Amino acid sequence: MRLFNRIWSRTASYIILLAFTAFFVVPVIWLLFAPFKTDHNLVFQNPFALGSLGNLFHAAHVMFTFEDYALLNWLKNSAIYSFGGIVIALICSIPAGYGLAHTQFIGRRTLLGVTLFVMIMPATALVLPLFLEANAVHAVGTPLAVILPFSFFPFGVYLAYIFYSSSVPKDLLAAARIDGCNEWDVFRRIALPLARPIIALVTFFAFVANWNNFFLPFVMLPNSTNYPLPIGLQDLLSATPAFNPGQGGQVPIYRPELAIATIVAMAPVMIVFLFAQRSLVSGLLAGATKE
Amino acid sequence: MKSVESSEPSTPLVSTDSLSSPLRRKRKKGVAGYAVVSGYFVLLILFGVAPAIYAITLAFTASGGHFTGLTNFIKTGEDFRFLPAFENVGKYLFIWLASLVVIVLGLALMLHSIARRVSAAFRFIFYLPGALAGAASVLVWLFMLDPTVSPWRLFLGIFGFKNLGQTILPGHLPLIFAIIAFWAGAGGWIVVTYGALNNIPNELIEAAQLDGAGAIQTALRIKLPLIKKWIVFMLILAFAAGTQLFVEPQLVGEASLGLISPTWSPNELAYYFAFQDNNFNYAAAISVDLLVIGLLCAAVLVFRTKLFEVE
Amino acid sequence: MAPVSLEKLTKVYPNGFEAVHEFNLEVADGEFMILVGPSGCGKTTAMRMVAGLEEITSGVLRINGEVMNDVSPRDRDIAMVFQNYALYPHMTVGENIGFALKMKHTPKAEIEKKVRETTEILGLTEWIDRKPGQLSGGQRQRVAMGRAIVREPKVFLMDEPLSNLDAKLRVQMRAEVARIQRRLGVATIYVTHDQVEAMTMGDRVAVMRAGLVLQCDKPQTIYDHPLNLFVAGFMGSPSMNLFEARLSEGSTTLFLGTQRIVLPPTVLTAKPSLAQFANRDVVVGIRPESLAVAGTATGERPEDLIFFEGDVDLVEALGSEILVHFSTDALRVEAEGMYSDDAEGLNAGSITQRGEGVARVSPETQVVIGEHVRLQVNPKRLFFFDPTSGLALTE
Repeated sequence: MRLFNRIWSRTASYIILLAFTAFFVVPVIWLLFAPFKTDHNLVFQNPFALGSLGNLFHAAHVMFTFEDYALLNWLKNSAIYSFGGIVIALICSIPAGYGLAHTQFIGRRTLLGVTLFVMIMPATALVLPLFLEANAVHAVGTPLAVILPFSFFPFGVYLAYIFYSSSVPKDLLAAARIDGCNEWDVFRRIALPLARPIIALVTFFAFVANWNNFFLPFVMLPNSTNYPLPIGLQDLLSATPAFNPGQGGQVPIYRPELAIATIVAMAPVMIVFLFAQRSLVSGLLAGATKE
Repeated sequence: MKSVESSEPSTPLVSTDSLSSPLRRKRKKGVAGYAVVSGYFVLLILFGVAPAIYAITLAFTASGGHFTGLTNFIKTGEDFRFLPAFENVGKYLFIWLASLVVIVLGLALMLHSIARRVSAAFRFIFYLPGALAGAASVLVWLFMLDPTVSPWRLFLGIFGFKNLGQTILPGHLPLIFAIIAFWAGAGGWIVVTYGALNNIPNELIEAAQLDGAGAIQTALRIKLPLIKKWIVFMLILAFAAGTQLFVEPQLVGEASLGLISPTWSPNELAYYFAFQDNNFNYAAAISVDLLVIGLLCAAVLVFRTKLFEVE
Repeated sequence: MAPVSLEKLTKVYPNGFEAVHEFNLEVADGEFMILVGPSGCGKTTAMRMVAGLEEITSGVLRINGEVMNDVSPRDRDIAMVFQNYALYPHMTVGENIGFALKMKHTPKAEIEKKVRETTEILGLTEWIDRKPGQLSGGQRQRVAMGRAIVREPKVFLMDEPLSNLDAKLRVQMRAEVARIQRRLGVATIYVTHDQVEAMTMGDRVAVMRAGLVLQCDKPQTIYDHPLNLFVAGFMGSPSMNLFEARLSEGSTTLFLGTQRIVLPPTVLTAKPSLAQFANRDVVVGIRPESLAVAGTATGERPEDLIFFEGDVDLVEALGSEILVHFSTDALRVEAEGMYSDDAEGLNAGSITQRGEGVARVSPETQVVIGEHVRLQVNPKRLFFFDPTSGLALTE
């Protein structure tokens, strides 16, 4: 009886797990298949029927050349904003995490507390205030209005702080001081080289956050040549007849083309996901764990 | 390391050259600390503190700059779009948080009771859509919800949906946004919850089994109580992020041919005030409302759960 | 000129806690100086003040005659071995050992040569290109030693360097560290909570508690003539048996619980101050090895011995000796910090109800649990302490 129960409950859990696997994976697979078909195929064929390479090339050609290579321009913008933000975030957050963990200065605990608060608060809550601020200093519309707010990444500071306070013992730094290091040497020769794993982690999280960010560039960058990909996607959506048959009849962007744009938008993050799987899981846990 | 000729005379280990003392440097206190945090501090002030303060200032003043007290808050609160926006987000949050508790915990517990290898594969698959957060996930789901092309078209057909306009009727939106949020975000929480479950010492679970607890009893009486604070953590963070809903209603709105209000969520309403009405003071007031909600969530997490390390 | 001299060195933390109180110490050239005490006694803080890792609240620290209070650690010409070794995880063994020389801008060839000599002394040559993560605990400990000795510093500081090793390796390294120190002849301050290390390794030992140095002397002197209850209880393993007793009129008889023990006149001759405790309470101390089961041949004349009785609670046969745990109805005195880590206040000791004691006897002794035994001790080997001040009666 017990054995029967166990087999039954085990089977039930696998059925549930497989059902959710379908829920999570089918949209991704469908998306990857869609560009191989024509819009007409998408409607009238089996959703998982294979398309043809010819369709793919056609859709890709249409999408990439659309509005003078707008998609590539958005891709380039996304890259500039994301990496610009990451570079400054790293330059500031790694030393700050070290400082919060291993140096003494007045206001250290306050800074740590404020960092925690800002980190937990959803970044979106500050978007409109940031816009109002940028507007006051006439910075709206410039790439810096996106890059600089991106570079303020308190979660990275917190990750670096946790790393330094839990994985780098104070005695290690004391040993370096006794061995003849000044404070700058201690950071550069000991603390910084040890930060390699945390640099990867901060880069990953900052990249995903920046790349997918919609609201901030949406309010900061009114000009379509400055759009990053997510805003570009919305632009495509509104300007094309893909979902709105009545709208923008002249624009040749249909669902296969839109699928390509979506794939281009998600591909970089997806690639990073595949490669950084391990460290990202540990980072998700490290983000808030004390144990 | 190269080998040195053995004939070479070796210097005695205690030599005198180290006695020539360099300049004695006095210790400097605190300077190093300020130096390493300075860059971050500037960013924090410019892009964390300053915008918040500026928004608060705007929220309490009129366009001329004079102090108006709570007028902006009252005016925006009385706006006919204000309550519906919060109501919309409230419904969405209810569905999203309930699904987090029930489904995420259920899946994590299931994954925790099967072989580690297999569960790792499931976890990765569940987590994968996280790469499509934001605009991309909404676009994918517009395809999924469009009965003409969706791989789920049979399923949508059961509910009688014939075209996208029927699926994304305004009344369906809270559920749809919850599904999108779940699709892109649940995997991450499953990973976190699974990690928390993994932190429970195996002996504890074995002890429970020896005490006669079955799988379900162990899950309910041992595992869940031990990861309670992680559940609270998950709920508060999801709640805080959920109140900020913007990209989803914005994009679905684009596809709805104007059926969906452009002020569906509070953030959209604030955006509307700023960009359509050019009323930055009203926009700031709603931003401050949302900011306060975010701060309250942070405060609860920081002060009540002790999840975060501040020494 | 002493390599290290501490003059009323005091450390008060911002929260008002005084970790070290007016510590005076001179370490001579080549001397191996041990600071020992329970955790929290201030020994590590004292050492870290010497290293420059803790600020000195007041007092004067001199290294080779120069005042060092405000000099940064890197300019003190000291080397330190940390409890957790503090090896740089991203550097190889060779780089770890050579790092201090590199920071002094020593020419590359010379660094290489000194590192090689050091690794040879320590038997590390094989592992010179490994990273610390690939080494065993004992090897890491050696690298930490190597990093200190390659510097040829004026002073070695060692902070419980052996405490992370397993028991066997610890015994082996104890001898090795002592040997290397003698060979190099560098003044050394060594912090430990292990009284065996304190007894075996040092030229001199400073026993500390609650920020104070209670006694500083040669290890054997401290063992034979502890100045107070705490030192008596702390040094030696198993600890000295301490019982509350009462002296009779004229201090000729000792009442140990309900037992009445007549003291030979030689006891009072040796310690005339006992006369002041006539009709008063006194604490009696007996080292476990001074006790034997009555009738055991110890080479002493029976008429020189005194006897008392107890019940055997537990017998631990260690092979070379037997530990007999017994109890009497006399009250047992425990010097604070002897077993536990709490070392608050300066009260001499606390008294517990059960009069338990330990005797370390020869392996031929026949005892069984539950037996009522007579124990013998030479009264010359008794220690007496003032129960209020905790001070030993030395004369």
